Amino acid sequence: MSALARHRRLQAIWSSPPGWKGLFSTVNHTDVGLMFLVTAFFYFLVAGVLAMLIRAQLATPHSAFAGPEIYNQIFTMHGTIMMFLFAIPAIEGMAIYLLPKMLGTRDLAYPRLGAYGYWCYFFGGAMLLVSLLLGIAPDGGWFMYPPLTGKVYSPGINTDFWLLGITFVEISAISAAVEFTVSILRYRAPGMSLAKMPIFAWYMLVTSLMILTGFPPLILGSILLELERTFGLPFFQAELGGDSLLWQHLFWLFGHPEVYIIFLPAAGLVSTILPVMSSTTLLGYRYVVAAAVALAILSFGLWVHHMFTTGIPHMGLAFFSAASTLVAVPTAVQVFAWIGTLWKGRPQLRLPMLHILGFFATFVIGGLTGVMVAVVPFDWQVHDTAFVTAHLHYVLFGGFVFPLLAALYYWLPLATGRARFFRLGELAFALIFVGFHVTFLAMHFAGLMGQRRRISTYSPEDGWTAINLVSSVGGFILAFGLVMVMIEVVLHFFVRHRAPRNPWRAGTLEWASAMPPPAYNFASLPQVDDREPLRSDPDLPARLARGEGYLAAPNGMIRESLAVDVASGAPEHHVVYPGNTHLPIVLAAVTGLFFLALLLKVLWVAPLAMVGVAVLAWHWVWQLGRREDVGEVTVGRGLSLPTIAEVDRPPGWWGSVFLLVADATLFGSLLFGYAFLWTIAPGWPPPAWIEPSTIVVAIAGVGIALSLLGPSLAVVVNKRGRNPIAALALSLAGSIAIAAALLVLLATAPAATGHAYGATLLVMGGYGILHAIVVALIAAFLLARVRAGYVSPRRRAEIAILPVWGAYLAGIAVVILLAAYLPVALS
Amino acid sequence: MTDVLRMLIAPLAWLAAFSAVYGLQAILCAAPPEGTLAGISMSRVLLGLAFAAALALQGVLLAVLLSRRFGSRGGFVRTVSITGGIVGLVATLWTFFPVLALPLCR
Ligand code: HEM
Ligand SMILES: [Cu+2]
Repeated sequence: MSALARHRRLQAIWSSPPGWKGLFSTVNHTDVGLMFLVTAFFYFLVAGVLAMLIRAQLATPHSAFAGPEIYNQIFTMHGTIMMFLFAIPAIEGMAIYLLPKMLGTRDLAYPRLGAYGYWCYFFGGAMLLVSLLLGIAPDGGWFMYPPLTGKVYSPGINTDFWLLGITFVEISAISAAVEFTVSILRYRAPGMSLAKMPIFAWYMLVTSLMILTGFPPLILGSILLELERTFGLPFFQAELGGDSLLWQHLFWLFGHPEVYIIFLPAAGLVSTILPVMSSTTLLGYRYVVAAAVALAILSFGLWVHHMFTTGIPHMGLAFFSAASTLVAVPTAVQVFAWIGTLWKGRPQLRLPMLHILGFFATFVIGGLTGVMVAVVPFDWQVHDTAFVTAHLHYVLFGGFVFPLLAALYYWLPLATGRARFFRLGELAFALIFVGFHVTFLAMHFAGLMGQRRRISTYSPEDGWTAINLVSSVGGFILAFGLVMVMIEVVLHFFVRHRAPRNPWRAGTLEWASAMPPPAYNFASLPQVDDREPLRSDPDLPARLARGEGYLAAPNGMIRESLAVDVASGAPEHHVVYPGNTHLPIVLAAVTGLFFLALLLKVLWVAPLAMVGVAVLAWHWVWQLGRREDVGEVTVGRGLSLPTIAEVDRPPGWWGSVFLLVADATLFGSLLFGYAFLWTIAPGWPPPAWIEPSTIVVAIAGVGIALSLLGPSLAVVVNKRGRNPIAALALSLAGSIAIAAALLVLLATAPAATGHAYGATLLVMGGYGILHAIVVALIAAFLLARVRAGYVSPRRRAEIAILPVWGAYLAGIAVVILLAAYLPVALS
Repeated sequence: MTDVLRMLIAPLAWLAAFSAVYGLQAILCAAPPEGTLAGISMSRVLLGLAFAAALALQGVLLAVLLSRRFGSRGGFVRTVSITGGIVGLVATLWTFFPVLALPLCR
């Protein structure tokens, strides 16, 4: 087959429908990545306009521009949009677009999930945007502290927009994180061992694991606060056994890792681009990986540094102050690795490099002020002043926006196949750099002079007039620069000025595809034996196009790829992907209906929407699989591999494991909240305890045993060639028993609205019942699949998922029983 | 997966110990145990023991990661996992020493 014929065949298999209709049904990572990026930059624009409104308001004392009600909405939405609708989605977009190309494969692990995530982001973001346009936007600050955001002080719908909209959007972060983790571990080019992975993939792996463990506390907090607002469960009300400090803990358990979730991918971009700009390789690859790992884990021990002024005992403060200073060390290791890379190479001042230098200058200053506020007495002085706002922008703008702009200019030729024609970028950079530092350097001093953050106005006697004017002028210079960047990118699409292939002479695989990349990325998949394959083998792109790699012969209309062993990168099995479908957007819309029902308080619609989600999810998984055994598939270069349905650990197994990591973090946060209220909250012990019941324990015990045994039995029986239906039925009965036991437990618990104790029990029981339903659905689904002929001793992949979920259900059931009964039994 | 685990285990153990010690301190302040040992309050003795246990755990982990038997042989994974072991140990020393010196519940 000629290269052109192969291209035509693959294009027919992989591309989405032409025109804008394709947008709604595409599941291709190149499309979804660009959709994420375009939407994220749209929100950057929105939040940027809000920032300009803030600076306009603060430019002069006694400004009559916006009253406090509107001003509160403006700064809240600025922070919220920047963090949740710009920064995180921009990273997701970058990674969705780049990872498969860098890893030398054709798509991410779960194409439809990626599209679903996008549509959740789209609809959730739209909810927030509507609230902004209607003037009923959230106004409690981006961290939404109760009691201010409780029903008493914020009776309106504003806060609900935040809690529900952000939770909806976070679905996209969690799904992307699961997808990245599995893709990076399993979906790489053959031969790409862990040590040969592009550095960006390492950063994204670490970041994804952080999202899985960092976001659930926020999701839990939002659920609890929304439950309090809608149903009066008093988690954060001190007079009823709650504690508003619990929110701060949950929020910052998320919030601190969040800033590293934003920074680490940006550091990954820097570590990718900087060596290329210096015509060399990254210095100390191993230590950079180690530093990223250390940074990620250490950053989970810092959250209380946002709470230094809440009256926590000195000892507690000292732990977090120590951890906060420690985290500077791995950050510094990375900075030194970058400086060393510059040193050993021949740096060239091209446009991406300018932004990287801007990043260095700005981020290092932000890091230093970070160490300053990590020191408790200093923080007591500047907490909640403009100094902190200045610090956070040095790290977020310096640590994220500059690298993102570098990446934009670096990969634009890849995405469009075109070169820059007008030289607006250099001037734009100068404006951005100068504008940024004028704006935010000034704010440090305003803060030290006592200017509090989030104030809508001040008087001339405060003595901050000149400094604020300077800062606002800087802000508008900065805005000009950013607008110029956008103009240049738009112009890029109108000027046909072809870029040469691999214009920067980079070594990573994304430059081995055509420019712009076709939907299938690579006509055949490379065998990798070097960290920078294009450097050692510049002829690789041509050879891949000629079909000298794996999977060079298109097979029917199937989208094919390969999965590899985690550590060595040896090819392990053959992957078949689902094609284009409207399911993701439909499922996201129905998910959105659930959130909308809660928002507008038409509560009866919410359970209906849940049923809709379950039906669609059933349909979603039903579409995969085959009714006959396939056996080994030849994948080229003399290799045959088992196909995806005929392995012990299919993608669904891996996805389940990492989804459950996030799920377990959510449950762990709930247990933390329970323990926190128990030990710290003022209104404890509660007026009434739950009555321990032996019947509940007995039924649950049976359910737990069946949930553990049934699934494993199903796997074994099926492998031996016998019918697994009885074992699956056992598992189904097990989940029903657990659900029943938990229902009785809840019926005997004290009222949930009377005290935080009852409220916590309700949430814990509800969590268990929800999981029992999910596991019951999985078992029922498998029963149907077995009967429909989708399962055989060889086609065993689907059944392999049940033991994971069954074991998780059994585990949480045990913990819920212990948490409910043990304290009562002991006292 | 074992290789990934090797690289993460020591810092993760630090995180677990960090949460446990912070939790222990909260519990000791909510319900202080009676008595003293050699003139030192029981709470501080317990926290000191927790510190020692965390240090010992990190020591063992580092030894395991260094060992021929359980440690990785491959160059890359070995460097990263041993660096991780050192990070865990240093982090334990640096973040837990307040239990020896600072007031407990003020
Ligand atoms: C485009 C240039 C930007 C300007 C001129 C700007 C300006 C400001 C100002 C003046 C405030 C303080 C509001 C107040 O305390 O009254 C603020 C708050 C904030 N900004 Fe920005 N900002 C910019 C970009 C960003 C970016 C890129 C991010 C994050 C990725 C970000 C995240 C935040 C957050 C989280 C807050 C705190 C909001 C709150 O207090 O609730 N900003 N910004
Ligand atoms: Cu922090």
